Amino acid sequence: MKNTRRIAGIFLTLLMVVTAGRCFAQSSLDLRINEVLVINDSNYVDSYGKRSGWIEIFNTAYNSVDIGGLYLTNDPANPTKYWIPKGDPVTRIAPRNYILFFADGLPTRGIQHLNFTLKEDTTNYVALYEVNGRTLIDAVKLDRQNPDVSFGRLEDGGTEWGFLEKTTPSANNFTGVIVSPGEKFKVMDPYGVGMAVIAMSVVFSALVLLYVVFKNTKKIYSINLKKLFGKREKETVVQKPAEEEISGEVNAAIALALHMYVNALHDHEETVLTIKKVARTYSPWSSKIYGLRNIPR
Amino acid sequence: MEHSGSFLTFVGEHLQQFFSYTAFANVTSGHLIMIAIGLVFIYLAIAKEYEPMLLIPIGFGILVGNIAFTPGLKLGIYETGSVMNYLYFGVLQGVYPPLIFLGIGAMTDFSALISNPKLMLIGAAAQFGIFGAYAIALLLGFSPSEAGAIAIIGGADGPTAIFLSSKLAPDLMGAIAISAYSYMALVPVIQPPIMRLLTNKKERLIRMKPPRSVSKTEKILFPIIGMLLTTFIVPSGLPLLGMLFFGNLLKESGVTKRLADTAKGALIDIVTILIGLTVGASTQATTFLTAKSVGIFALGAASFVIATTAGVLFVKFFNLLLKEGNKINPLIGNSGVSAVPDSARVSQVVGLEYDKTNHLLMHAMGPNVAGVIGSAVAAGILLGFLS
Repeated sequence: MKNTRRIAGIFLTLLMVVTAGRCFAQSSLDLRINEVLVINDSNYVDSYGKRSGWIEIFNTAYNSVDIGGLYLTNDPANPTKYWIPKGDPVTRIAPRNYILFFADGLPTRGIQHLNFTLKEDTTNYVALYEVNGRTLIDAVKLDRQNPDVSFGRLEDGGTEWGFLEKTTPSANNFTGVIVSPGEKFKVMDPYGVGMAVIAMSVVFSALVLLYVVFKNTKKIYSINLKKLFGKREKETVVQKPAEEEISGEVNAAIALALHMYVNALHDHEETVLTIKKVARTYSPWSSKIYGLRNIPR
Repeated sequence: MEHSGSFLTFVGEHLQQFFSYTAFANVTSGHLIMIAIGLVFIYLAIAKEYEPMLLIPIGFGILVGNIAFTPGLKLGIYETGSVMNYLYFGVLQGVYPPLIFLGIGAMTDFSALISNPKLMLIGAAAQFGIFGAYAIALLLGFSPSEAGAIAIIGGADGPTAIFLSSKLAPDLMGAIAISAYSYMALVPVIQPPIMRLLTNKKERLIRMKPPRSVSKTEKILFPIIGMLLTTFIVPSGLPLLGMLFFGNLLKESGVTKRLADTAKGALIDIVTILIGLTVGASTQATTFLTAKSVGIFALGAASFVIATTAGVLFVKFFNLLLKEGNKINPLIGNSGVSAVPDSARVSQVVGLEYDKTNHLLMHAMGPNVAGVIGSAVAAGILLGFLS
């Protein structure tokens, strides 16, 4: 018994540790390097009025993610080059939102100012590392860049990279006309026939599946597993009488009969006289003995 | 004397200013039309007993929403910070419909469906009304999202209609909800002529096998398996299907009676009041009295007709594949339209017209509750494709 509890305890602790680690890892793994501008001649200006290269990180998750404690680097040999300070509200990225880091080599100017710069005349490497400084979250290699043209994912958090038509610091990378899924659907299915065919097939499949399952459920759970897998003992010849399935109508008739019977009982019940016993509890105050005069001796 | 003159001017000006704030000064013909519609709803609910639980909150909500006030006083349902706006949040964000589904689940007895699972297919067939209306809406020039939101009226399920329209076409939600509930109330008027038209006397007299008794284990397994299967196929239907089956498990497990009682009692009543009132109030004349609303009402009627037709015709077709003795009375085909229990009641009433001893209610409840599942699945599909 003790052993079982111990094993259960260890298992639960392990499970909690594993899931906790997984939850944490999932959050920071949702971050992506989304857009990078290397040569900033006449582009975005930081709060000090200065221009520098910048790196945009996008939170692809539908919950907030704290980037504090993670590492940004431009050197594959030194993954922990810039440690993003923890505990600042700035580092908490809202769902589907962005944070911008300035590669100006001036970390004294604030959390968002990195301790490295991006090289204008050669290739660059930018990477985001986990809190442990070993697990790579995302990385991008940049060829030689043009001034004021950013390189980024064509859609926020997407897989395709390219030079963007417009630089979009802390904004959606896709600047074209957004076509709703409904409009896309209409292009292929202008009369709704496709929708009817697809949707009705799905509705039918869902309910047919339920039909198949429930047609056989009774059979499945009425299988006697002991009989199937248990040791085969001498088969006794005693045969149980087959259980007859009682139809709903019979059930209703039985219920009605019972109902009428109970009601009938109730009618008689009202005529019964009940004699209630009245308890007279003894009290010395009302005792007759104290009301009598004692005979003088 | 001069002083008293200026005082009278002061009083006069302020009375005039007060008058400009009153609804008398701001009322338009649109408001009056909407108030009249609200009064008709209340009349139908009280005098004719057409879905009173819904039509009274909605009807009164229409009155509330069409009191003409000066904008900026944080009174209107569309004004941020107003009380009505806070209550409307539950509609806009799709909070109320799943809670209503929880209550429906706790009220519904799926025994009829479990005892004769093939009736599920009728519930599926009746969903054709949704996609028929979708096609017509596209032809009438509605955008795909609007068409999807309007089409769900054919599912005959108010909470589903509100849920989907709040996601796909929030602007049309008032008209869609009013249309859905109106036609649900009119089910006893719309369906019988179609049922009579599509069936012959011999078919109407078909007697179905009495349903077998269903064990407790089956009843407990149904919501669990039902939820897993349907939401694995259509995850976007999770808010509705998850709550529906959860409510049913509370009922059938037998150990959560208090929770089931709350879900099907106080909770669903509170949410019905809030959803009815706010949906009614969202029909402000300025947003409701448009050509689109007229189109929505026409499409709503069409979707109900298509759904009923599809249900009845499907049963007739299905009967071709069934052996004698196992055949289904096509008069229960209409009950695939998930207006619970009105459409099942229509099957019963029409059935009794032709055979006084042929009670179809229990059989019709099967497709009826299957229709609830089917319309939630259909809503999930539309949401998945169009949002």
